[in-house]
Amino acid sequence: MASVAFDPAPAPAPARAERSTLGVGRLTLAHLWVAIAAFAVACVLGVWQMWARSPLEAPAHSAANYFRAVTFHGVSMAYVLTTFFIMGFGYFVAETALKRPLPAGRLAWAAFWLALAGVLMAALSILSGSASVLYTFYPPMTATVWFYIGLVLVVIGSWIWSGIMIAAMMGWKRAHPGEAVPLAMFGTVANAVMWLWTTLGVATELLFQVIPAALGWVDTIDVGLSRTLFSWTLHAIVYFWLFPSYIAFYTLAPRAAGGRLYSDTMGRLTFILFLLYSLPVGLHHLFMDPEHSTGFKFIQMVLTALVSVPTLLTIFTIAASLEIAGRMRGGTGLFGWIRALPWDRPMVLATGLAFVMLFFGGGGGLINMSYGMNAMVHNTSWVTAHFHLIFGGTVVIMYFAIAYAIWPTLTGRVFASARPLRLQLWLWFIGMMVMTLPWHYTGLQGQWRRVAAFDYSDPMIAAWGPWVLLSLAGGVILLVSALLFVWNLFTLHRARAPRGVATFDYAAAVHPPGRIPRALNGFAMWNVFVAILMAAAYGYPIAQFFIDPPPQAVVHRTVAG
Amino acid sequence: MAGAPPPADDQLGDPIDPRTLDRPWRIWAGLGIGTALVVGALLAFLVIPSFQRENAGLDMWTAFCRAVGITEGSPAYRQPVSDAKAAPVSQVAWSPEVLTILNQAEPDQGARIAAAVCSSCHGQDGVSATPDLPSLAGQSAASIYKQLHDYRSGARAHPLMTPVAQQLLIPDLANVAVFYGRDAGPSMGLGARGQSARPEIVRLATEGDSARRLPSCNSCHVNGAGGPIETPILTGQHHQYLANQLLAFKNGERRNDVYQRMRNIARVLNDEEIQALAEYYQGVR
Repeated sequence: MASVAFDPAPAPAPARAERSTLGVGRLTLAHLWVAIAAFAVACVLGVWQMWARSPLEAPAHSAANYFRAVTFHGVSMAYVLTTFFIMGFGYFVAETALKRPLPAGRLAWAAFWLALAGVLMAALSILSGSASVLYTFYPPMTATVWFYIGLVLVVIGSWIWSGIMIAAMMGWKRAHPGEAVPLAMFGTVANAVMWLWTTLGVATELLFQVIPAALGWVDTIDVGLSRTLFSWTLHAIVYFWLFPSYIAFYTLAPRAAGGRLYSDTMGRLTFILFLLYSLPVGLHHLFMDPEHSTGFKFIQMVLTALVSVPTLLTIFTIAASLEIAGRMRGGTGLFGWIRALPWDRPMVLATGLAFVMLFFGGGGGLINMSYGMNAMVHNTSWVTAHFHLIFGGTVVIMYFAIAYAIWPTLTGRVFASARPLRLQLWLWFIGMMVMTLPWHYTGLQGQWRRVAAFDYSDPMIAAWGPWVLLSLAGGVILLVSALLFVWNLFTLHRARAPRGVATFDYAAAVHPPGRIPRALNGFAMWNVFVAILMAAAYGYPIAQFFIDPPPQAVVHRTVAG
Repeated sequence: MAGAPPPADDQLGDPIDPRTLDRPWRIWAGLGIGTALVVGALLAFLVIPSFQRENAGLDMWTAFCRAVGITEGSPAYRQPVSDAKAAPVSQVAWSPEVLTILNQAEPDQGARIAAAVCSSCHGQDGVSATPDLPSLAGQSAASIYKQLHDYRSGARAHPLMTPVAQQLLIPDLANVAVFYGRDAGPSMGLGARGQSARPEIVRLATEGDSARRLPSCNSCHVNGAGGPIETPILTGQHHQYLANQLLAFKNGERRNDVYQRMRNIARVLNDEEIQALAEYYQGVR
């Protein structure tokens, strides 16, 4: 954490000089603009997909185009937007929170270009129609091998990022023995460590199963094993995406509200619990799959339930932090502090809206993770609606707020007015609610997912029509908000935007951490616990494929070569 | 989950060994995480199966083994529910082994068999001159292999084809299939260039009829449509042959279609639609 003594002094120096003091400015901007470009294109496709599934006639609607678009949308949102945003924000945090230059800056740039090359390979593969296998791959389908190699390059770029984040923290600790790593950096490194664990599953699947199949080296593939390895990655990756939002909750929102973080220790515990419990839980994505026993599914359900603990800790801590801010601003009574909060500030507004969406999305998630209830919503639109609400809603709205918070530091210019920022956040919130709540409902009606069209001449399906149209309207609002977001950031790159301060500070805790145990200042011990949990949760479920190999599936090549 | 650890001494300046600070964390975190795992495992492997097993009539040991996944089945249900064995009519399953037979087949060998055995009825170049016998040229190899295999196993019967297929060895079936399938494309046999019919017939072929739960013919019967790989290409086939087969499916004389797919479809088509669809798929040169 920034210490109290490091309170912002008004920076009188000219912005240009300030800008040059931030070593990672260009690096961060490069990452974030790639993320935002992918996000904008994916939003356009997302609306078209909603349109294609609605009763209205959509242009260029065919099954082939639909699955091509879904693959592009999923890959852009899940792999490009997130990975590049997290890498860019991580570099920014490493420099601003640790207040020292980023180690291995050239390596960071190399990782950027490597990952960007991978993105372009994957994007061209999808656009050419030779990789319409969706972002979760679905073996035994295989796409052109360039699609997978492109994604592997993105992952390798992110591994380099993880290494740099860990090295930055270690270097800081060596220079500051016995001191607590600033919370924002602690969270970033927790995410990097978790990401290294997370990607083991999908990397193994791609390198040993899918890529050999795509190259034609093998004719069969063990789908149960590949689904299991993907499940290893599939839940933790969601928390990888979520981490920046939680870092913003703990280290940016309390300060933006004019208060302090209620508890630094809670933040550390939350990040550690995410590291521990987002990994050994992936089988809850396979509750209806036949390749695993009920017992291991149940154990992973119990562990999944524990991942709600850090979220509840966070809601409590951030609500307490905001209450401190509200009361400092003169709010009184049971709820008066809420009114007194500065809701006109984008970070505060985004935090409030994110919590509302977290309420609905988290509730839906508890249903999904319950072994029994999962059977009702399995493979329905409910699931799609859920992850759009929790990821597209809670997580992405905080990405917006983070971008609004750091863009002035990156560009040396300030927003002339917060109005278009607030408008954009409100539009995103309204659009997301309008899109996902009816979508949940049609899921409960049994509307299936992963289909290119619905036959509205069927009376049962016809009844979904109005709800799908409502969802489509929400999607249009989201697109407007997405374009406004791009425009808002773009204005700071124009010369006529007002120049402003370029210092950046994180929220101070009510009790700044003094000497803290190494357990709360690093990850060595927790990695041991992760290894134990993963061995217990995934050891036999993976070993069984080798002890008693099941029938293999014939590789289905969607394209030649 | 870490339990509540004792608050750390955060008075800066005290020379406390960091290992002393860490010890309670290691103990409490280990206890918390271990407890969650053990409780979860007890519930998953012992407590819940002990209640579920009564429904399935299992002893505790079997229920435990099923919950762990050492033995197949669920601890909650009788599995399998019956000892009856399903007896598929067609013996062809597209296992990796069968696909390997097709992949390794030799078209030259197939050409010799075709010239000696097949060509007398199915035409020198694989285009049959008799309208109620099918053309083979340009048909998909998987489709020809399946039908030959079905004749051989008795799943499909024909006074001439049954003895012919029974004389051939399995690799020879594949050789012949690959020989005729070497030029498989959008159309086969007669090589239709134009297809036309009344709008409702075209709609049946291209869109199906959801009111009668009829999928479109083209969803499977176009080369590369993505349906079951044994689906034959129809375009360019003799219309008499196509109509005869649909009628045979309809009245149950032919039964080698997997999951009764074609019997279910033919049953809801009327005879006039069958004739019109057959002519539509033969097309005109």
